[in-house]
Amino acid sequence: MEPSSTTALADLVRRAQKGDENAQHELIMAYQHRVAGFVYAMTNRSDYVEDLSQQIFIKMVRAVDRLQAPAQFESWLFRLARNTCIDQLRRQKLRRIFLPFGEEHENIPEPAGAVDPEELDALRHALAQLRPQDRALLALVQEGRSHAEIAETLDTTVAAVKARLHRAREHLREHYQPDHEN
Amino acid sequence: MKTEDQAWRDLQAHASAQLRAGFAERALRAARGPQDATWRQLNAHAARQLRPGFAERVLRAARAVAEVPSLSSQFALSAATAAFCLAAVIFVQDRSAQLADERNLADWERIVLSAQDAQDAPDNDSI
Repeated sequence: MEPSSTTALADLVRRAQKGDENAQHELIMAYQHRVAGFVYAMTNRSDYVEDLSQQIFIKMVRAVDRLQAPAQFESWLFRLARNTCIDQLRRQKLRRIFLPFGEEHENIPEPAGAVDPEELDALRHALAQLRPQDRALLALVQEGRSHAEIAETLDTTVAAVKARLHRAREHLREHYQPDHEN
Repeated sequence: MKTEDQAWRDLQAHASAQLRAGFAERALRAARGPQDATWRQLNAHAARQLRPGFAERVLRAARAVAEVPSLSSQFALSAATAAFCLAAVIFVQDRSAQLADERNLADWERIVLSAQDAQDAPDNDSI
């Protein structure tokens, strides 16, 4: 389903920019799983995945006509995804300040057996210990984004991306303990 | 009495009894960090959270959002309504003030005429 080449993707994006609903549908189908994975890595919450992914794609549909370079679509989409997740995490943090009793309701445990082979559980635990910016960085790397693309997505330099990525990986490894005690 | 070597061996035996089975594998996995397969599991789990018909729902929601007037257009409409109401109030106020002026002027003219009539009329008392 994924557009096979950069040219095909750029054509698809151009059609979507002209309001072609089939092209918009195709773009959503092509990227929904990757965006869902990114959202999950960022928020560590299964119950946010559908809702935030929907918000991200609605923003995509509404703003795609303003994208100057259709070839940059993927970087642009993941920047939208990152900003949407970070906004959500900020809102969640604010809600905790104003409604402190709600915290236990917000950290809803995953239903038993829904996710967790040991290593996946460990990865989720380790990601939860990182700053959202570092989670975004690691999720973007897993997405196959190059350092240059990540630098563009995060509005920073390639050198800064490399340094931050090194630190984020160190932190992830520090907290990555398969079979950790919860 | 135990020798020092024996004491060390006992300590090691006690310590190693605390390690659960598969310790070496776990240590290696932790040292390597999460592998690509683990990330793929995470993505697969996330993808399963999207209910069937996700794309259709997004497009429907995007259309619904597009039909809701934007904040700026709502603001523009409010500003236009306020301006229209202000203009209407000023017009009505101006018009009623003008009518009141005309009425007052007419009254004054009537009073002036009556006064002139009273002045011009022959003085009945003097006759």
